[in-house]
Amino acid sequence: MNLRLYRRWLGASCALLLFGAPALPQWRQWRQMMAEHDENPPTPNPDEETEFYFARLAYRNGPGARRWGQAWMTDSPAADRYFLQGVRRLTNIHARSREQYIPPLDNALFDYPWIYAVEVGQWGLNEAEGARLREYLMRGGFLVVDDFHGTYEWAHFVEGIKKVFPDRPIVEIELSDPVFHVLYDLDQKVQIPGIQYLRSGRTFERDGVEPHWRGIYDDKGRLMVVINFDMDLGDAWEWADFPGYPEQWTALAYRFGINYITYAMTH
Amino acid sequence: MFEFLFKYPRTVFQKGEFLFLSGWPLWLLAALIAAAAAALAWHVRAHGQRLARARRGVIWALESALMALLLVLLWHPAIRVATLRPQQNVIAVLVDTSRSMALKESTQSRLDKVQAALSGGLLRDLGGRFQVRLYDFSSGLERVENPTQLAANGNATRLGEALAGVLRETSSLPLGGVVVFSDGADNTNGIDRNLMAEIRQKRIPIHTVGVGRTEIPYDAEMTDVTVSSRALPGSRLIARVSIRQHGLSGQKARLSVREGSNILAARDITLNSGQTLQTEEILFNSGEPGARKLTFAIDPLPGEEITGNNYLTRVLQVVPGKRRILYIEGEPRWEFKFIRRAAEDDQSIQLVTLLRTSANRFYRQNVDDDKMLADGFPTAAAELFGYQALIIGTIEANFFTPAQQDLIKEFVNRRGGSVLFLGGRHSFSDGGWATSLLAEILPVRITPGGNTFHRRPVKVELTQQGRESLICRLDEDPEKNEARWNKLPDLADYQTTGELKPGAVSLIDAQLPGSKTIPMLVMQNYGRGRVLVFATGGSWRWRMRLEHTDTSHVTFWQQLLRSMVSNTPGPVMLTSDRVIYSDEDRVHLRAEARTQTYEPADNATVVATVTGEDGKPSTLEFHPSPDQEGVYEADLAAEKPGSYRVEVTAHRESEILGRESLVFHREDGVAENFHPEQNRELLQKIAQQTGGKYWDLNEVGKLPSEITYSEAGITTRETRDLWDMPAVFFLALGLLAAEWLLRRKWGAV
Repeated sequence: MNLRLYRRWLGASCALLLFGAPALPQWRQWRQMMAEHDENPPTPNPDEETEFYFARLAYRNGPGARRWGQAWMTDSPAADRYFLQGVRRLTNIHARSREQYIPPLDNALFDYPWIYAVEVGQWGLNEAEGARLREYLMRGGFLVVDDFHGTYEWAHFVEGIKKVFPDRPIVEIELSDPVFHVLYDLDQKVQIPGIQYLRSGRTFERDGVEPHWRGIYDDKGRLMVVINFDMDLGDAWEWADFPGYPEQWTALAYRFGINYITYAMTH
Repeated sequence: MFEFLFKYPRTVFQKGEFLFLSGWPLWLLAALIAAAAAALAWHVRAHGQRLARARRGVIWALESALMALLLVLLWHPAIRVATLRPQQNVIAVLVDTSRSMALKESTQSRLDKVQAALSGGLLRDLGGRFQVRLYDFSSGLERVENPTQLAANGNATRLGEALAGVLRETSSLPLGGVVVFSDGADNTNGIDRNLMAEIRQKRIPIHTVGVGRTEIPYDAEMTDVTVSSRALPGSRLIARVSIRQHGLSGQKARLSVREGSNILAARDITLNSGQTLQTEEILFNSGEPGARKLTFAIDPLPGEEITGNNYLTRVLQVVPGKRRILYIEGEPRWEFKFIRRAAEDDQSIQLVTLLRTSANRFYRQNVDDDKMLADGFPTAAAELFGYQALIIGTIEANFFTPAQQDLIKEFVNRRGGSVLFLGGRHSFSDGGWATSLLAEILPVRITPGGNTFHRRPVKVELTQQGRESLICRLDEDPEKNEARWNKLPDLADYQTTGELKPGAVSLIDAQLPGSKTIPMLVMQNYGRGRVLVFATGGSWRWRMRLEHTDTSHVTFWQQLLRSMVSNTPGPVMLTSDRVIYSDEDRVHLRAEARTQTYEPADNATVVATVTGEDGKPSTLEFHPSPDQEGVYEADLAAEKPGSYRVEVTAHRESEILGRESLVFHREDGVAENFHPEQNRELLQKIAQQTGGKYWDLNEVGKLPSEITYSEAGITTRETRDLWDMPAVFFLALGLLAAEWLLRRKWGAV
């Protein structure tokens, strides 16, 4: 463990002792609610052959990953399935009810022109994976990244995305961009918090106070990568039917997600 | 020999009327022949016991034939024939003086040989019996006094016009016959049918004298080039070049397309063995907007005598502006995205899309303004007919009202647009199209039922028509093209549509498991337009499964989209009877004007501005055609060689119906380089159809005596005996001798 990590671990332990003890009953109540929540919604006709598959990028954790286990699995499959229910109900897109996992070096990646990567503040892409994703995007694939927060995770994300596009700039997506209007008119950039909001009461995590919709465009001005930074659409989908999670954020997350898919299928 | 045996020339028997002069009835002749044959039969049977039965039969037949011959002679056979009265008739002698007559064969030119024949006694012999008028003809007709005035410098051979000119000039004279000296290399595709009918009616025999070799020993000739005369900028075009060669079988030649000194495309070809017409394809890019004069050429080969026929010129008009295609799609899908991307890269196409994203929402892309398609799919002809083509994605048939379905039908039939139906889960029978009004226009008979759309990868292959089609050309080289198609990834899905209707062609088939193939890309003309089916929604896999630098998907779709709009007519269509006018100055123009809803536009004013090489514009007014509604015609004299641009505007009162332009080219002195060998077939046909005779130049000395037998001019009817023909005596003698020899051989003498 390097010195920086050690200091952070020590700081977190002290904070837990100082501030965590009073909050223990609230923590227990929250855990109880979590347990009662059905995490795996039904998937009718799960093997149906459809036009659209919610393809989740199964990347490897990076060396500086905060999280134990596989970061790419975060919120899955509940988030995927709740979101797919919305896609099937609200649009004409012929979408399968069950999620699809796809590693970056699997050739089948090219059969899924829309992929979703979560917790990309912890991803680890090597050169081959970066090249594969670059080729995928140049052919017309579309990548949505989500659920990473603060300066540290941003730096880690950028380290990975530079393996994909070393030279392409990452820019703020303007509200006038078609991606915010293709199906739903989304005129405000409202931060969509993760489930942690119920505990913390904050819409942001770490130092990611301001939400950012950023993107990488191709040479013809079409988005290839949508970067949901300092927000957590995945949680908003995952807790879609959880009474404690505010409905307006789930609704908004659905709209953003559906717009991303529709944009990818039209541009 | 014929004349020795039969006393008269063959022409007498061909033109004469056979008759018996005795005046006795013919039934009596037949009865006597029968009686004689019967008597001889009795005689042979009674006195020929020593001979076998078959031999008796032979003897009887010979004796009977001799008896019949003698009886026929008793009836006094004769022939009645019309002959020209000496010195009272005119014979027109026409000599071809086009440049092909200057071709040297051995030491003399073709014209030299004609002059030698005329001066060597032919004119004198003809002059002894008739009044002779000598003419030279090429692109015109001119009378000359003697053969020394003839010079082979004409730019074209217009045999028909020359004959018509002679008829006109001698209309008040007793024309007994026409003699034509020519190589038959006519540049006007033969002789007008009406002229031939007139000549036959006047019973004027045309004697043709063929000059020149029927084959040029070493020659490659470009006989034709078929290429579109209009194209969109940057289009890949295919030209089909027809080549004929003599004596150059197996040789390599360089085929090229040039614009001025720029070579647009070139490839090596091998000249076929045999004399069949060889067709080669060459692909090139149409380039920037504007009118282009293209030269298709075969580089001269070693030993070629004539190289002027290695080139052909064509005019290509590259039309600027975008062609508008409306694409309606029932659900977001990958095919939609990637078709849009392919079209985005094409500057000639505006792909306007209307996508049903959810049950009641539509997303419009590439529209001109907020109003465009704001109310959904067009319901008025004027709006829909503003597009050149229509793509219908996966959407139920009943999405369209019956009126809209009828409109789509008229879009193809009347407006001349193209419609492409794509496969998908709501397409064809799965979308209820089998029972729709539009089932009639589809190029396939839709299989009734459902579950015809399958999301399973499928391999495609080109059909023969697909290999030849420009839509499926991913590479200019046919073999490389085939290889690229073989390497294409599977389609993501396919749909079984049904069998092809008569006249429909499939360019691409899909191979299903178990060696079964089904049509994937089908097309058929319907009315003035065309309907296509691409029975898949999964060609996007060609984009995602190939390197991002691979252009197969983009090229295929751009070529498919361009094929749908490149020939779609506008409200005004302007055509000329030709694109290249070789030594011709009469240009016939035809404009078809239609209203906004593409109904024929009557009472329109159609005016053109014609600009020649000198850049000076002139105005040309069109007149309504008496035969067809909305059609206007005009004739134009292109007096000088060069390219001409015609820009036509049609308007009705203050409403402008439309504008259109075309380019044609006039060239002089080129036609004579083509078909330089003697066209014996044409000359024989003219002689045969008019009661004349085809002559070799070497035999022409007999012509003055045979030309006498004519029914034109001032004639007299002569009756000539046939009984004293040497052939009759030889026949009688032969019969007698044969009988005697056989009897002697069989021991019956």
